[in-house]
Amino acid sequence: MPYLVKLQQFEGPLDLLLHLISKSKVRIEDISITEITEQYLETLHMMEQFDIEIASEFLVMAATLLHIKSCILVPKAKPEMEELEEPDPKQELITRLLEYKKYKEAGNKLKEREAYYSGIFYKLPEELFTNEKSEVLPPDVNIDLLHEALCRLLQSRQKLGSTESGPAFHEIKRDTITINDRIDHLKNYFSMYSKSTFFSIFEDDSSREEIIMTFLALLELLKVNYLEVQQDYPFGDIIIKRRNLNG
Amino acid sequence: MDEREMMAVVESILFVSGDPVDAKEIGRILDLDVRMVRKLMKKMSDCYHFERRGLQIISVNDTYQLGTRPEYSNYIQKFIGQERSQGLSQASLETLAVIAYRQPVTKADIESIRGVKCDYILNTLLNRGLIQEVARMDTPGRPILYGTTDLFLRSFGLSSINELPPLETE
Repeated sequence: MPYLVKLQQFEGPLDLLLHLISKSKVRIEDISITEITEQYLETLHMMEQFDIEIASEFLVMAATLLHIKSCILVPKAKPEMEELEEPDPKQELITRLLEYKKYKEAGNKLKEREAYYSGIFYKLPEELFTNEKSEVLPPDVNIDLLHEALCRLLQSRQKLGSTESGPAFHEIKRDTITINDRIDHLKNYFSMYSKSTFFSIFEDDSSREEIIMTFLALLELLKVNYLEVQQDYPFGDIIIKRRNLNG
Repeated sequence: MDEREMMAVVESILFVSGDPVDAKEIGRILDLDVRMVRKLMKKMSDCYHFERRGLQIISVNDTYQLGTRPEYSNYIQKFIGQERSQGLSQASLETLAVIAYRQPVTKADIESIRGVKCDYILNTLLNRGLIQEVARMDTPGRPILYGTTDLFLRSFGLSSINELPPLETE
């Protein structure tokens, strides 16, 4: 028949010490370090046996207790001189225990208050508050303009032949055309015509990918100075010309 | 507008708001100065008590909010048909006590009083909105100073931090 012992959970070494002190029914100020150290180490031992992981703080306290005990056993060499420099470690521990006890008790009082006051229920704010921070359109934009822009966008998408109605799945396809293809294509084109317009070079492109590739090819050819561009007025069609360098 | 009417206005505002309403805000609406608002709210709160209403006016740091009376929480529980959620752990309450009484306070101070590490508990308390970072200390490392929030006061039935019961000293 296994012997079951229920071990109290301790919040920390100070909590454990307070428990031991209250068990031996002495005032904190009157503790016997020898006794308390013994009991403390015994408890740690028990915790170990029950496979409870002992936090490092408990071990630090064990060391502190042993230190105090040794201080008591070994008589001080020059009592009057040293008392000024080093505070009594036992007194220090007692002060800490008293201080900790205050807050432990305050915590218990808070618990009572919490239990009582958690019985208060509040009402959620009326929902009209949630609309308070709705986005405001910039002053020079009106709904008609936005509507028009949206229609144009949808139309141009239809032109591109996209038949899917919603953004359900997106298929990633291998690029069927490369920039190099397009560069060759454009070079061919401009070997026949020395001048063209921006929109007309996209006329053969039906898919989004093709448009992008042609555009990138155009940028490339501009970079290597094969082509040059010119625009006569804002938003006008861009005229693309072949540079007459060496060929 | 007579006093009864003003109370009625405030009552309706507190109902719509649900959240705490600042004394200044009430003053703005009723065209009263804050001192008058406080007087009015005190009277209103007394009225609620006197009439033994199911609601009360909860005042925290110059804000006012409608809430039910804890005396009747059992009936509310019966109505909701749900157990009340568990309260804070012993360790959390202890930590909260240290912060409440010593604020503003650093993590190191809390840990030296409790004798254990507090990182996890501080995070829990921060997440529950019971404590907040109030400042940083002007020492090397600029450690964070923690303090309690209005939610803390409300959760523990305090109208200001001065109402904390005094720490017991033997």
